[in-house]
Amino acid sequence: MQQIASSSSAAREGGLKSVLQRFPFVPALIILVALVALNGFFEPRSLSFGSITGLVSTYLALMLLAVAQTYVVYAGDIDLSVGAIVSLVNVVIIVLMEKWGGGGLTVLAACLVGVLTGIACGVVNGIMIAGLRLQAIVATFATSIFFTGLALYVLPVAGTPAPEAYWLTYGGTYFGIPFVFYVVAAVALVLGILARMRLSTQLLAVGDDAMAAFQSGLPVTLIRIKGYVLCGLFSALAALCVTGDTASGDPLVGGKMTLYSVAAVVLGGSALSGGAGTVTGSVIGALIIGLINSLVFFVGTPSEWQNLVQGLAILIALMAGVLVSRGARA
Amino acid sequence: MSELLIRGARKAYGATLALRRGDLHLLPGEVHVLIGSNGSGKSTLCKIVAGSVKPDAGEVLLDGKPVTIAGPQAARALGIGIFYQELSLAARRTVAENIYLPALPVKSGVFVDRATLEEKARRVIADFADVAGEGFSADTPVETLRADQRQLVEIMKALATEAPVLIFDEPTSALDRAQVDRFFEILRRLKGEGRAIIFISHRMDEIFAIGDRVTVIRDGETVATSRIAETDQATIIHQMVGEREELATPSVAPAVHATSRATVLSVQDFSGPGFRNVGFEVAKGEILGFGGLHGQGQSSVMRAIFGALPHQAGSITLNGKAHAMRSPREAIAAGCAYVSGDRRRDGILQGRPLLENLTPIHFLRNRLMLARPSRLRERALKPLQALKTKFQALEQPINSLSGGNQQKIVIARWLIDRPDVLLLDDPTKGIDLAAKTDLFALIRELAAEGMGIVLYSSEDAELLNNADRILVFNSGSVTRELTGADRTRYNLYHAAYEAA
Repeated sequence: MQQIASSSSAAREGGLKSVLQRFPFVPALIILVALVALNGFFEPRSLSFGSITGLVSTYLALMLLAVAQTYVVYAGDIDLSVGAIVSLVNVVIIVLMEKWGGGGLTVLAACLVGVLTGIACGVVNGIMIAGLRLQAIVATFATSIFFTGLALYVLPVAGTPAPEAYWLTYGGTYFGIPFVFYVVAAVALVLGILARMRLSTQLLAVGDDAMAAFQSGLPVTLIRIKGYVLCGLFSALAALCVTGDTASGDPLVGGKMTLYSVAAVVLGGSALSGGAGTVTGSVIGALIIGLINSLVFFVGTPSEWQNLVQGLAILIALMAGVLVSRGARA
Repeated sequence: MSELLIRGARKAYGATLALRRGDLHLLPGEVHVLIGSNGSGKSTLCKIVAGSVKPDAGEVLLDGKPVTIAGPQAARALGIGIFYQELSLAARRTVAENIYLPALPVKSGVFVDRATLEEKARRVIADFADVAGEGFSADTPVETLRADQRQLVEIMKALATEAPVLIFDEPTSALDRAQVDRFFEILRRLKGEGRAIIFISHRMDEIFAIGDRVTVIRDGETVATSRIAETDQATIIHQMVGEREELATPSVAPAVHATSRATVLSVQDFSGPGFRNVGFEVAKGEILGFGGLHGQGQSSVMRAIFGALPHQAGSITLNGKAHAMRSPREAIAAGCAYVSGDRRRDGILQGRPLLENLTPIHFLRNRLMLARPSRLRERALKPLQALKTKFQALEQPINSLSGGNQQKIVIARWLIDRPDVLLLDDPTKGIDLAAKTDLFALIRELAAEGMGIVLYSSEDAELLNNADRILVFNSGSVTRELTGADRTRYNLYHAAYEAA
């Protein structure tokens, strides 16, 4: 009884603080709402169902990539090869689908190979970093070049189209609901399960203090490898979405997405030093980046200024997040 | 019921031999005290048992059978649970998650079973519920807890393993009296259940209160094992010290008359987080003691004077000049020095060479931009020699030294340019007896040279032996001042335990 009483009084004392502790993505959510409102103000049509579907299908890949990045960031690691994994999986499935004829079953088979490719990349990264104890930033930078090299070997020139069966499904509507929303629902379910699994807590504990986790008897190396494997898996899923969105193979398609995924994770309130974060936050972070991009477009920024405005907007979003959490702590 | 026998355990870290010949015979149903000065190898011995350090030689027998303890997981499987001196907590996880981190309960194969976790954690917490203090519950993130509460979590984590062999490496260093008493009650209960318990502490009174047998380790070798009832403090200290010089007797009655000297530090109506309306003056050459139970604001007052914590009201006058002390930088410039017992947080620059650890204050106080390494080394060496620091070279990383020697480096840093006021915040935490003696001799010397010293110690004996005056803190205020012949253990306890 005493325990219950004391914990509830603690919750009353620091309202916002305890909310932030439990849901560190709240500042990101506030920024997201603000961006949605701004988008609606400058372009009322952007709030239509069609526009939102478009936004989701374009940025679903980045959301998944941010999720992928989150699992390694949980453990205090980082993966700069996620973009390269996206490229590699993209060209692998494109080439396989073309080779196998592009029918329904072969598309599924190609996707399965793609997912296994992503997992294999994750295993490689995990063994390099957790097993051989290489520095995560440099090692994944190196593997990113390696994976890109593989992608260029598989498909030297961009442009091979995806079979119709693939992109029509991705862009299609079933029972009145666009396919991408089924994907979102399935991913949400998987993330919900993952969040309740022991692995999530273990990854966070490792990221908090790897030595403490080791002394507590956790298999630290294995846990970090599992983090990279999850990262590879979700990168592959992101690649499937990229392929559905672009409907073609491109050995460099994921390159630019890597640092966006890191930015999304940070915008979502996760600590790059590890030990704190949520996948929900990262998904919101990816949406923030997507909305900033479309806002820059809707406001009518001249093309030569778009990068500058976009960079400033991300900086402002980061600052707003920091200010909100600092205000709550004070 | 487990019997543990370690024979001839040996461990070297590079050139440093941490453990030469570690022997230990642990019986079921006993609290076996392991004692030795810092760097003598007792923590290494424990880590070998816990599997986090692999011995170079020697054998471990569990119930008569030789075993190899490959890692912390293997140790757990063999029924060995450990409390670590360096805390092994994940700061952002909750109390419950931390207690059961090694073995989170799982349901339906994959999910963490939150209900069982909380329920099990509550049961462990219940043992300490009335002494844990405010804001301690199963779902509190560990980072929001006080140091003593974190130590309790660490204890609970060790208890929750329900292992037949339990190792407690300095489990009481941050606890207050009531918490220690409760912990000892639990230890006695476990002992009654037939568990074998290794207990390490630097506090003699605790050793005699809870121990059944004691094994003394000196310079990496097991020297003797005896029954507590058949030994005494002097014998144990003698075994620890060995052939070395006799320990200097503590200065029982420091004969400094504060009133006749000039005031160097004056603090008035000082209020801030964890303390209120604190006022005192420190004279040149005086050692002012802060006493009382742990965490009654002693530390916070010092940190606030040093500018490391904000204060809300009050004035600080140093050498007749008022200072706002908004940051440690300002305090250092004004002539303040602060040495904390929490070396990892406040003192050392992890992994950096000794020279870098010795010189930051020198650079700051002299506004040096450039310095000749030879001159710097010469300046740095002087205080190190005065402190009898053991080290090989100024280039070796500070982590390669034992806790006591690390603390000497931290203190030496301040002595290159003499400060006017030295704030010592439990400076001997985790330091061996010989180093403590060196340290207090030096502190007295510094006082004699005219420095004003404020000393907080969690060990009452240190305070009584070394402070000229003692301010007893209770719930953030000074409740009593003990001077002259009033400085007795009875008066100190009386004032500390009084309801504020």
